[in-house]
Amino acid sequence: MPRGFRSFHPFVLMLYYIAVIAGLMINQHPFFLLAAFICLVFVNLILDKGVELNKWKYMILFLSLFVLVLTPIFNQQGNIVLWTVFSREIYLEAIIQGFMIACTLSGILALFTTFSIVITSDKFLYMFSKVFPKWALILMLALRFVPLFRKRLSDIQDVQEMKGVSMKDGKLREKAQNGMLFIQILLTYSLEEAIQTADSMSARGYGLQKRSNYESYAWKLRDSYVLIYIIAFSLLIIIGWQLHESVLMLAPTLESIALEGNSWFYLIGWISLISLPIWTEGKEVMKWSFYQRDL
Amino acid sequence: MANEKGITFVGVAIFFLLLMFFPDLIIEHYLFISILFIIAILMPSIIRTSRKNMTSREMVMLAVLAAIASVSRIPFASIPSVQPTTFVIIASAIALGPQSGLIIGASAALISNMLLGQGPWTPWQMVSWGMIGFVAGLFAKSFFMKRLTWRLIYGFIVGFLFGWVMNLWILFSGFGELNLETFILLNTSSFYFDLAHALSNVFFLFLFSGVWIKILNRFKEKYGVFGDGG
Repeated sequence: MPRGFRSFHPFVLMLYYIAVIAGLMINQHPFFLLAAFICLVFVNLILDKGVELNKWKYMILFLSLFVLVLTPIFNQQGNIVLWTVFSREIYLEAIIQGFMIACTLSGILALFTTFSIVITSDKFLYMFSKVFPKWALILMLALRFVPLFRKRLSDIQDVQEMKGVSMKDGKLREKAQNGMLFIQILLTYSLEEAIQTADSMSARGYGLQKRSNYESYAWKLRDSYVLIYIIAFSLLIIIGWQLHESVLMLAPTLESIALEGNSWFYLIGWISLISLPIWTEGKEVMKWSFYQRDL
Repeated sequence: MANEKGITFVGVAIFFLLLMFFPDLIIEHYLFISILFIIAILMPSIIRTSRKNMTSREMVMLAVLAAIASVSRIPFASIPSVQPTTFVIIASAIALGPQSGLIIGASAALISNMLLGQGPWTPWQMVSWGMIGFVAGLFAKSFFMKRLTWRLIYGFIVGFLFGWVMNLWILFSGFGELNLETFILLNTSSFYFDLAHALSNVFFLFLFSGVWIKILNRFKEKYGVFGDGG
């Protein structure tokens, strides 16, 4: 039985992702966003030791640099001029703005690297089938066809290469044309067979009654606790946003960047929401190390 | 039928009421609102397709086309920024109608992202490819899509529009400060990728669209599926 964060009900997990994305978008304050990004790196580390995040690090770095450099050049709104480069003023506000956008982007990307670990395609299809049952069935069929078609495509490629039709050499135009020819062969081949699949579905009684499905995810008591946890902290974040405690005002005048008074309270609430996977997974890690010590 | 037209009507009415009474709200969050607007337009057709009584033959055919659209990237992996997914969606939408085009486009995006890893761009790809299919299907019966020239023009425009919508998700993350300048800047930086996409659409549509539409129409006739234009 899977334990930890991944074992919660798919809808609860989805709500966590929605809440954190919404939070990343509304908490436009450098400290809030930086804290969120650091937390999400830890979430990645605890879920899969950062393997997935490692694949995306160049994309994250590139996008952040891109935004960090270009926002000050193009954003000409502000009061405090730092430098003048090629008759363009570089404003402090714009630099802070660029930093916040870069943090939001990196945070969203770091969050999505965990998405495929936590919400695997079976959980995703389960949720999808609750909302769009027919469409989910089409998706399931298509997902099954993907590996089959890959195999067929390589078969087709092998056979066609014998005839001298290949994508390996020739001009770009010829390569593209031959590639499309392979796909056209795949189309006629597969459509003809798909009709057989469909007829065998009808023969087994598809469409006669309402489709029943196996529920592999039961709602447990701990799902309710986590649901309350997520909702409570999301409400806290929305209140903080409405009171402008978690937002840095850039216009008309730049606010002091330091956090004061109530803002700390909202920051702690925000961190508690993001680090939900750390609590739940961390408990398991601690249990594991405890059992190891006993042995 | 009447019901879903009602939903669309109410959606549009709410949008205009908001525009009249809270113009500041819309201008401040125009991107957010316009996304809601797109979803409100797409939702009725998605719900309709979901509720419609499809025969198993139709469902399997849609699944095959969606799978082909996402698998077709594989042989082209050696040629950078050339992918025939958009072509497959346009060709099948012209043959099978707007609803099928929407389902094939959105499913192709979802499936290829399930294989390559989901990201914040998944919903954007679903909406863009879904819309590409939907619009191609809508005009399939009119003079617009019957002429090859118009198909080529459609493929070219759509190649750029797809890239621009995909750039939007970066802007959307900035949320507060959006301006046209950053949007144009992003689009110029992705210009060559978009151009390659648009040109490969034109290339594939020019050489293969006639044959593909013929093949799909032949299947429609032979097995009696998608009778009322899907």
